[in-house]
Amino acid sequence: MTLERRAYPFTAIIGQEPMKLSLILNAINPGIGGVLIRGERGTAKSTAARALAALLAEQVVVEGCEYGCDPDQPDGFCDQCRARAEAVGGPLPRATRRMRVVELPVNASEDRVVGTIDLEAALTTGAKRFEGGVLGAAHRNVLYVDEVNLLDDHIVDVLLDAAAMGVNVVEREGFSIAHPARFILVGTMNPDEGDLRPQLLDRFGLCVDVTGMTDVDSRVDIADLRTRWDRDPAAVSLEFEPREEALRTRIRDAIKRCPDIEVPRAVRRVIAHLSILLEVDGHRADLVLARAAQALAAYEAAGVVDVQHVGAVAKMVYEHRRPERLAGESMSGLMNRVIAAEARRTHGTPVQQLPALRPINI
Amino acid sequence: MHSRGTFPFSAIVGQEDLKLALCVNAVDPLLGGALIRGERGSGKTTVVRALGGILPIQRVVVGCRYRCDPDDRGAMCAACAALGQVPVATERMRLVELPVSATLDRVVGGIDIEAALRHGVTRFSPGILAAANRNVLYLDEVNLISDGVVDALLDAAASGVNTVEREGISVTHPARFVLVGTMNPQEGELRPQLLDRFGVCVDVRGFADVEQRAEVAEREAAFRRRDPGFAARYEQADRDMAVSIEAARAGLGGVSIAPALARMISQTCVDAGVAGHRADVVMHHAAMALAALRSRRRATSADVGDAAALALPHRARRPIERRVPVPPQDGQNDPAEPPQTRPDPGNIEMHQPRVPRLCSPDDAKDRSGDGTAPPADAAPQPPPEGGDAKDSGAHGDADTGEGGRLVTAALAGKVEVPLVELRRTRRARAASGKRMLSQATDHRGRYVRSRAQDPVTDVALDATLRAAAPHQIGRGRGPGEPLRLHRDDLRQKVREHKVGSLVVFLVDGSASMGARERMAMTKAVILSLLHDAYVRRDRVAAIVFRGRSAQTVLEPTSSVSVAQRQLAELAVGGSTPMAHGLWSAYQLIRRAQHLDPTLRPLLIMVSDGYPNVAMSDGDPYRECMDIAERIGRDRIDALVVDSARPALADVAVPMYEDLRPAACRALAERMGAAYFPMTRMSANQLGRLVIRLRVRR
Repeated sequence: MTLERRAYPFTAIIGQEPMKLSLILNAINPGIGGVLIRGERGTAKSTAARALAALLAEQVVVEGCEYGCDPDQPDGFCDQCRARAEAVGGPLPRATRRMRVVELPVNASEDRVVGTIDLEAALTTGAKRFEGGVLGAAHRNVLYVDEVNLLDDHIVDVLLDAAAMGVNVVEREGFSIAHPARFILVGTMNPDEGDLRPQLLDRFGLCVDVTGMTDVDSRVDIADLRTRWDRDPAAVSLEFEPREEALRTRIRDAIKRCPDIEVPRAVRRVIAHLSILLEVDGHRADLVLARAAQALAAYEAAGVVDVQHVGAVAKMVYEHRRPERLAGESMSGLMNRVIAAEARRTHGTPVQQLPALRPINI
Repeated sequence: MHSRGTFPFSAIVGQEDLKLALCVNAVDPLLGGALIRGERGSGKTTVVRALGGILPIQRVVVGCRYRCDPDDRGAMCAACAALGQVPVATERMRLVELPVSATLDRVVGGIDIEAALRHGVTRFSPGILAAANRNVLYLDEVNLISDGVVDALLDAAASGVNTVEREGISVTHPARFVLVGTMNPQEGELRPQLLDRFGVCVDVRGFADVEQRAEVAEREAAFRRRDPGFAARYEQADRDMAVSIEAARAGLGGVSIAPALARMISQTCVDAGVAGHRADVVMHHAAMALAALRSRRRATSADVGDAAALALPHRARRPIERRVPVPPQDGQNDPAEPPQTRPDPGNIEMHQPRVPRLCSPDDAKDRSGDGTAPPADAAPQPPPEGGDAKDSGAHGDADTGEGGRLVTAALAGKVEVPLVELRRTRRARAASGKRMLSQATDHRGRYVRSRAQDPVTDVALDATLRAAAPHQIGRGRGPGEPLRLHRDDLRQKVREHKVGSLVVFLVDGSASMGARERMAMTKAVILSLLHDAYVRRDRVAAIVFRGRSAQTVLEPTSSVSVAQRQLAELAVGGSTPMAHGLWSAYQLIRRAQHLDPTLRPLLIMVSDGYPNVAMSDGDPYRECMDIAERIGRDRIDALVVDSARPALADVAVPMYEDLRPAACRALAERMGAAYFPMTRMSANQLGRLVIRLRVRR
């Protein structure tokens, strides 16, 4: 039995704003497709993933449901919950649980990921029962995949498929089953150890590169805070609790607001333009960018998505999708070019010029 | 399975060819299905799933698990065939999906474990092929499906039945389905037999037009948030479309095609250089289905033109000149039949006589065997990383001749030089085209099927259960008791995983004619290979020999960015320690093989072949030959690229006392390597050569 470890507070993580933002946006809308974090060791990657789960903490689930279905979202019910709901004819009993980080080990085999036959039940009673795997456990949680570039391709395939569809479909070893699998996907890798196939890269919604901080003052702060934490985690938790609570509320509100925030056609054109300019393959980038911008707008309590929102998240969306030779150009330079072109094209009200990509307050 | 909701077919933006390809198959299930090729994110899967929303209703035998066709006694299952009068109902055709990870037992079906355990009877539990009968079978990522499953599919597609002989079951049932597959050509080729199975083929890509892209994104968002206006509008359009398809199906039997048009079909196929006659047949079917869709009783030349555009992309071996098919003389456009009698639901268009659109220029990349052509100019060098003034010239040689930084030279022409194959003993390998799968002996890799063997080291529990199930009652097991397993029940998991290769470049960095060019070319080939390596988990390494030693300038890597960094500065100059180079390469390969015994290494040496530095006291030339002998004995695949001028290659050069010719050819022979004289360095040629060698092994 694992001990309930206290997680380092999300708001206590110093710096690494893009990484933190990418996680927050995914928490607001997991449909963005997760985030791939590339970087060396010791840059708070797994700390941040755990901190996020701890931040979002309590959630309401259907009592007794293996996957933790949300009783307020009957559309997303697993088959068993659906059957129960029909039988009962009313709302299902509720319980609460804490959001957690489900880890996928590097040497995971496919049946452990996807689910397989319940070994014990089979051998002891001869019953053929499906035992959910990592994907089953990950529903409504954070799925953390370390060293994603070292996983077998077909496992990454299965993972990303489920992340995209929000469902895990199992047709193997005698089972034909589907269950919900909507999770916040966080993958990490060290680029020096090899790249991920472009097809797989493309399926990660966002990508951020992290490096250790070079600013000496920040390094001192980080080490100092970490030391205090090691010595007395309870005290540090308490110290940051107000900030955690504020962030938690902000995210919760954003989750509620997000689906209703409009993405105007003009903004979609700017996005389309950017994708064409950056020569991305397919349309995924456009869809992800719109969702990410929308999540950001929700986070900032804006009523509608504008170009500023797009500009703020564009780099994370295109980082892992554009060809090497365009890697040099700065995103704000590109954005301004696109906006100017759009203004010329439409002759309408010019969409506003971006001075610089402004920082987001986390 | 809870509903995910399907995107409405009529809400798909553009993609008219694709929609047509799917519609004709819905009209005529015997047409042969559709293959959809496209890059990632081009919407292939979305469109195919959308097809599920417009499939027609059809007659089925009531209560039959295979949904037999009451009007086709020949194709009935045993149970239906035994009945005299069959009760009939109507049911909507549907889409059955086969996920990439499906195992064989789920595809063909197997024993019903519960029935066996509980009642001791062997009963057949139908698989996906059973569910697919009279429906559409959708194969996602069809080029990544395991061979065993592909074989089962091909069998069923060809014969129309699925025969199951396993685990005490012996069953044959009808399996006629419309095969629809999607694939991303960048991820690998399709086996020719499977490719040919698909009636029609469409290549799709993302839109390059701002308005269309924005429209695609907007519709997707409206669908996701279940916008009621969106749903109402397009769901109605879909219903209309389904009705059109049903009507077309009903009218299909009455459609005819004039002999002159039939000739046109065959002429088109001959011009395109297709193999066999399947293309002709498919075009017939397609042209008639199109006519039916367009509410006509006779196919027109426009229909034939469209049919060609659908049926030929994956079959044509010759590009067709752009000419419009000339309508034949006997006016088969019957004036009594008006072109359109039904309101057009908006997606089935009247095409003008179209030029059959065949492979786009991009498709040259997709054909197996030719491989990717590396860019003629090496990619522009990224600026060297700050502070990374690599002192690869830290060889501090007294001998350093030219020295200096590597400059990317424009690479020369494209004269094809034939590859000289010396006597090589080649091991026969069961390599399936480019996929070089190996049956793994460790526990890595995808579980694809099971087999009985002794001893079993990796238990396939499901298969073991199926083997044990029928015997439980006989072995005296009561309800709720533990399973009684015998040793013979155990089954081994057979796994598959892709075998990677390791390509080691051994480059002569000594001062000589074209040293810089040699380096530039090798680097360009390495980078382009690494781009290609994404598909296959290949790694590349590079060793340079010059002065008095050999240096590994690139450790085995699959990362393009690492390669670019490490190869940023490569100095040339000095004498030729070829033996050092060969030895280093040999050691590197041995080490790699030790870590992964299934590895397939390929050694490529680029040199003009004048070794003049020995590792020990001996003769440099002889040392090289000795090491070459070892390489040959170890059967390491190799290629020697001789950059000396051909005029000199067989002529003695006064560098040795006994006037030996340049070493390359002799070394190649001793190594059992392929030998390639290449005078003007061309990354293009070398790249293609390397890929040919890899594919063939």
